[in-house]
Amino acid sequence: MPIQIFDPTTEATARKINYAPRPKSLKGLRVGLVDNTKHNSDQLLLRIADILEREHGAKAHIIRKKKSSGVAPHAEIVDEYKAACDVVVAGVGD
Amino acid sequence: MELTSRRHTVADTDGAMEYCYTNGWSDGFPVVPPTEERIVGMLAAAGLEPSYQCAFIENRQISVTAEKVAINAVMAGCKAEYFPVVVAAVEAIGDPLYGYHGPATSTGGSAVFMCVNGPIAKEIGMNSGDNLFGPGWRANSTIGRAVRLVMRNTIGTLPGELDRSSLGHGGKFSFCIAENEEDSPWPPFHTTRGFRKDQNAVTVFAALAPHQYSNQLSSTPDGILKTACAQMKISAGSGRHPQYAMVFAGEHQVTIKKNGWTREQVQEYVFEHAQIPVAELKRNFIIAGDITPDDERTMKPIVAKPQDLLVFAAGGKAGVQSAYIPGWGSTAGSQSVTREIRKA
Repeated sequence: MPIQIFDPTTEATARKINYAPRPKSLKGLRVGLVDNTKHNSDQLLLRIADILEREHGAKAHIIRKKKSSGVAPHAEIVDEYKAACDVVVAGVGD
Repeated sequence: MELTSRRHTVADTDGAMEYCYTNGWSDGFPVVPPTEERIVGMLAAAGLEPSYQCAFIENRQISVTAEKVAINAVMAGCKAEYFPVVVAAVEAIGDPLYGYHGPATSTGGSAVFMCVNGPIAKEIGMNSGDNLFGPGWRANSTIGRAVRLVMRNTIGTLPGELDRSSLGHGGKFSFCIAENEEDSPWPPFHTTRGFRKDQNAVTVFAALAPHQYSNQLSSTPDGILKTACAQMKISAGSGRHPQYAMVFAGEHQVTIKKNGWTREQVQEYVFEHAQIPVAELKRNFIIAGDITPDDERTMKPIVAKPQDLLVFAAGGKAGVQSAYIPGWGSTAGSQSVTREIRKA
């Protein structure tokens, strides 16, 4: 006899996500770097900042460290990015 | 009680099991078909409406409802009376302190270790003795499995996708124990987290595999702990400061009880003795940096504070084995969480 079973997965629901407006150019902008705590993450990000400043005209950068790679940046450094940066570079990987 | 999940019609029970395999809803073992009657039975045992939110997983923006938890608990083979434990465990992994995203997705490959305390453990037939981490008890096997299926199916923690464990371990099928409160040298673990002895609670901990050590040569607590410390000094969490669980089995429990050592004494002793020079950690490429003269004298403990050692009494009465279980990552990324188990 046919039976009916229920779906254990999450059904996707449509939802609007607001992105921050993207700048047309990095010229004169201040860059925030999110050190994700992985070894050499800071070295990689500082090289990226160097390229953004040398080749794309970014004005300055700050780098701050998250508390753990698996968590979102804490409020204190988010406030710093908000106050001192126009764009932020973030990412995580091994 | 109205269920809102998508329904699938299949030919029969065999067809349902195969359908779940085909859709990737299994951990590799056959599942029990999640039918309406079984799902409603689960929800009733916890007195929950289907829409009750057990957890909200921030990074995935996913609301984990009681209905989805019940579906996965049925699939795992849980009896309805186990369901309040499953719900409490899901609530606990949704706690920001547990930090779901890190341990669930990391290449570090942790499982959700769960320890049940309170009268419910006996009521539902949980094992706290022989073959503690092994198979053989329905409640232990299926409660842990249910939580893993929720992670897989409802939250999307799929191996190779959002579960990037390089190795993983057997505890990812199920890693669920009860504490042996009767024979324990200490008050039940959940009372250290503010619960009463007669309350039911589950503690979750993002954990790597258990490491067994053997000590049949010492008849004192410090002798046993010396063996533990020798092995813990350089172990998975060295240099990272995660929490560690320590599970003391039968004969070691007796020795500790006979000598009247409190849980706090065990924690203090291990904190003091599972330490290693920073230089040694650097020489072995466990932490980064050049070795300085100070590093030879600077000792690094295995955990940041004694309370990060989670001390449980469980395991078979015979034998001279106990285990330590390294936590995932560091306490900045994940910490153990204890939640009350609420029955209907």
